[in-house]
Parts: sequence; C-alpha cells; structure tokens
Amino acid sequence: MASRAPNESSAEDKIIHEYDGIGECDHQLPNWWVWTFIATVAFAIGYFFYYSQLRSGELPLEAYKREVAEHAAARAEQIRAHGVMDRDALEGLSKDPKSVAKGGELFQQTCSPCHAANGGGGIGPNLTDRYWIHGGAPNDIYQTITDGVPAKGMAAWGGQLGAEAIQNVTAFVLTLRNTNVPDGKPPQGELSNETEYK
Amino acid sequence: MSAEEHTRSSLRHDGSRVDIQPADVSGRFNTARRITFVLLIAMLVCLPLTTIGGHPAVFLDVDRRAFYLFGLVFNAGDIWLVFFLLSGAGFSLVVLTTLAGRVWCGWACPQTVFLEGVYRRIERIIEGPASRRLRMNAGNMTFGLAIKKIVKHIAFALASVAIAHIFVAYFVSPAKLMAMVREAPGEHWEAFLWMGSLSLVLYLNFAFFREQFCLIVCPYGRLQSALLDAGSLVVGYDSTRGEPRGKAASAQRGDCVDCGRCVAVCPTAIDIRNGLQLDCIGCTACIDACDDVMVRLGQPRGLIRYDSQQGLAHLPRRFWRPRLELYSALLIAGIGAFSVAVAHRSSFDASLIRIPGQPYSVAGGAIVNGFTVHLSNKSNSDRDFEITARSDSGVEFDLPLKRAHLAPMGMAHLPVIAHIPQDKFMGDTPFVVEIRADSDPNKIELHGRFLGGMHE
Repeated sequence: MASRAPNESSAEDKIIHEYDGIGECDHQLPNWWVWTFIATVAFAIGYFFYYSQLRSGELPLEAYKREVAEHAAARAEQIRAHGVMDRDALEGLSKDPKSVAKGGELFQQTCSPCHAANGGGGIGPNLTDRYWIHGGAPNDIYQTITDGVPAKGMAAWGGQLGAEAIQNVTAFVLTLRNTNVPDGKPPQGELSNETEYK
Repeated sequence: MSAEEHTRSSLRHDGSRVDIQPADVSGRFNTARRITFVLLIAMLVCLPLTTIGGHPAVFLDVDRRAFYLFGLVFNAGDIWLVFFLLSGAGFSLVVLTTLAGRVWCGWACPQTVFLEGVYRRIERIIEGPASRRLRMNAGNMTFGLAIKKIVKHIAFALASVAIAHIFVAYFVSPAKLMAMVREAPGEHWEAFLWMGSLSLVLYLNFAFFREQFCLIVCPYGRLQSALLDAGSLVVGYDSTRGEPRGKAASAQRGDCVDCGRCVAVCPTAIDIRNGLQLDCIGCTACIDACDDVMVRLGQPRGLIRYDSQQGLAHLPRRFWRPRLELYSALLIAGIGAFSVAVAHRSSFDASLIRIPGQPYSVAGGAIVNGFTVHLSNKSNSDRDFEITARSDSGVEFDLPLKRAHLAPMGMAHLPVIAHIPQDKFMGDTPFVVEIRADSDPNKIELHGRFLGGMHE
C-alpha cells in the first residue's frame, strides 16, 4: 500500500486527553472544512458591506416596501383600466350579456337563499320592484353589496367576492329592476326615481 | 485504543484528504450490492413513471399543494400526517440500526447507491483500476491524462444532470418534465434553476466530496455510537481467529496473513482490523476481499464477516435486547396510529363557517342564520357532493346549492341559510349539516349552532 499516503507518524497520534477509556488526538480539522468556514466568514463580510454599508442591495424591509408600492401601483392601474364605478359604468355593464350572465350565476349561488332565485325576495327584500331600502342607484347597489348591511343580516361580500364579481352581480341586479315577479315580497323602502326603468 | 495502534482515516493529521481509490473487489456481497443498486435506481426512475389512478405513483405537486402517494391524495390540510412519515422513517432507521448496524449506509443510501453504482463505475471504465488511478493522480499531468480527466468529469456532469431530472420529475410529474425539457429554460426558469443547482450539488458531491459526506456531514452516521450495542450486526474482524497476523509460517500465527486487501478495497480508507469504527459505512467490500483470500488459502470464510460484537468476541449472542423491544414497540405504535389515521381520513374536507357580521337577523317574522360550507374534494377524480341539513327543533334550511360537482382538489363554498319562525324559536339550538360524496361510504357531519333572540 505504498501508493496510499501513509497516515502513521506516531508522534501525531499522541493522545492528549483521555476519559472513560476514550482517547482524543490533536488533529487538524479537515482542510475543506476550514476553507468552507473561511468562505462563510468572507461571505458574511461581503454581505454586510453590500447590504448594510454600500446599500447596494435591498434589505428585507426595503424589498417589502417596494413590493407593497408596486402592488398599489398595479391596483391603481387596474382601477384606471376598469374605470371608476359610477352609475353610468354599472348601467353600461348591465347591458353586457357576459357580465350579466356571470353575475346571475353568482346571484344564484350567493344571493338567492335570501333574495329568492328570481329576485322576488324572501328573507331579504324584493329586488324586482321599484322600491329600495338603501338606495336604488347603481352605485348604491354596488356599495350595499360590497359593505353589506350588518344590522339587517346582509353580509359584506366585498372581501369574499372581490370587486369584479360584485360589478357583475350589480349588473345582474340592475336587470331585475321593475320586472315585478309574481310571487314577490311586498315593497319595502322608498320609491326610487333614480333609474331609467325599462 | 493505545497510542501504538495508529488509526487510518480519510484525512491526514494536517487536515488534507487522502486520495481514496478503492481497489476492485468481487464476491457474494459485491454481486448482491450491484443488483440492489440497479433495483433501487430502477425504482427511483419508475415511481414517477408508474400511473396509479390517473396520477404518478409518487407526485409531490408542491405548486398546487397536492401530494399523490400510491393512489392516495393528500392536500395541505393533511400536513399533520407528515409527522408519522418522519417519525416512522426515523424509528425504522433506529430499529434497523439496532438490528443490523449500517446496512442502510452500505446498501440503500442514495449517497452509496449513486457513488458506487454510477460514479465509481464511470471512473473505473475511464481511468482504469485503482492502482492505475493512484499512479495517475500522483504523477505529472500529461496530455492523455488531461483528456481522461475531462472525459470523466463530463460523464459525471451528465450523470448529475440525469439524476437531477429524475428528482425534479417527482415534483412536476414526468409528462410536464418532458414538455419542459423541450421548451427554452426561460419558460420555466424556476424548475430550471432547481434542476441546475441540484445538478451542481450532485456533481460536486459525487465527483469530489464523496465519503466526507458520510463521515462528517451525515447526522445518521454520527449517531451510530448511540444506536449500536454489542448485539447489533456490524461488519467486523474476528481478532481471536486472525491475530497474531503475519505471513510467516510460524505455529502461533493467526489466520490473518496481513495481505492488506481489506484496507485496499475500503471506500473510507480505514483498517477494519482496528475494530468497529465510526468511519465504517458497512459496505461489505472487506468481507468479499478477505473471503477471497481465505478461500485461496484453504481457510474457512468469515475472518471478516457480518456479526455482532458479541459474536466477533466469541461470546454468547443476545438477539432480544430491551432497546430493540422499546424501539420496535414505538415503531409499531407509530405505524398503527398512521394506519388508523389514513383509514379514517375522508376523501373530502368540509367545514361550516358562519357568515361574518351579525350572528342572526330577523326578517319577515323569521330568525335567520347564514352559514357557508367550505368543501374540498381530496380524491383524484371528479365527484358530486350532496349537502343536507337537519334539526330537531324546527329549524328549516335553505340550501341554494344542494349538489356540487368538484374537480380533483377543487373547492366550493356552499351557502346554508337556516331560519325558524319567530314564534317557534325556543332558544339557541344545535343542528347538523351532512355532506356525502358519490361512491364514498364516508360522510362528514358538521355541527352548527342556530342563534337567535326573543323579539316581540
């Protein structure tokens, strides 16, 4: 085994400490281990200067703040693209068959238990007459769905459904106005002249 | 150990590494190990390729939080079962170690399987037997040698990339992996980065780091001294039979002829004749090497053999030890609890959540409570669900969605509106919402509470 590096200088195998019959020699750490250690120290120094001294990179808080700002900018862009939710925009949406269909589907899932499948009302008020408790303007309806009327059992759907879904539901509800379904609940609230009833 | 006995190790006293080039060995254990390596690698490749119930046998879809294991589907809500997986693997390894020492290290650990089964095979084919490799590495670099080294490292890199792809297949499914391989890396840079860094780590590990991983990094290796006892099976040298070693035909000499074959074949550069050592990964190469010599000398095999330390010292062997009983009992308890948990695990999940806001409302002479059922399909097929509700105290239910059709891992929110005429309301009362899935005997019963108040 001459080709193998000999390991056997007995001076270095000297036991420097013994306890319970277990002896300890004083050997060097593996070189790869030492170099890895030195490399981590060098990395830490570089990291410290890069982030905390030269400020070349973003610290986590800075990165977080940037991402929040980016998110806000993206949302603002989205709002601009969709237009402000005023009555004309929603009225326009109620003429769009695709939005109305989507809103109707959601209405059946989410709203029909209280407002009935045809909108004639049950637990909740009739949506097919011309009387509105919390305002009959398109933006009022949008607001009522978003924020709910907690005092009267109407849940705030804004957080659960999101703005786009509520736009569609509003569009669908707008198509119900003044359809006066047969078995509807008696009118509640005030007569609304707000809207152009078909 | 006395100071006169010197240790052999993969590291010199000055911290430099020994160039370990294990000599070729053949024998019973070597053949069995080769077969085991091939089977294990085949298993690794086949598990994601085999389809059970429309999904790979093992598919950890981290992206969609869906984990397919042999036809079962787990989602993030089942994460607590991982406790059994980890503790079960841990206890299995503990029981196995108490019984048979480092059989895992020598036969089944990926570090060994890939190093001995793939990388050292490549090295042997390109650079020749150990003696030539050592001579080459110690001598001057020549043109021919440089070519061989380059070819070897290219082959190592290719093997690493291949293994990295196998691992990635477990997380993205083989079909998607094949699609990604045909795309440009930029179209799936995240998966590409995983594959790339995994390839690099595998290459550095298997081309250079090798046994240092087992000896210094691996925690299981370091735990050996705590897990083994004198009754555990280890690879050991029968010093009673072997000593005093020597070549001379003296009357008192033992069976060991000090040929050094056991040392030459060792992948961690130790001398097994120094007794049980932390560096021994139980690879059995020295058993085959010594048996070969013993057979040629007309001596019985087994001067180096699988035996307990008791057996090697020619003491009575004791198989059933308290620690083995304790570890086995814990393992069996864990497996039992896991089996019960998986058997009683429903293939769908549901919870009943009160609609936020006011707990109840009064409308049209009725008290109304609103709830939502959050339903998720955890099976790996499309299914229909049916929801019913009942109450003993006259509460009636509006279920606008009585049925739901959900894709695998799909989710739905189903409203439940509970109401009772005001004059029938006699105080808060419990009710039950029941969810059944088609073709599943299990049902989930959700318990809710109807709230109200007395109004005039």
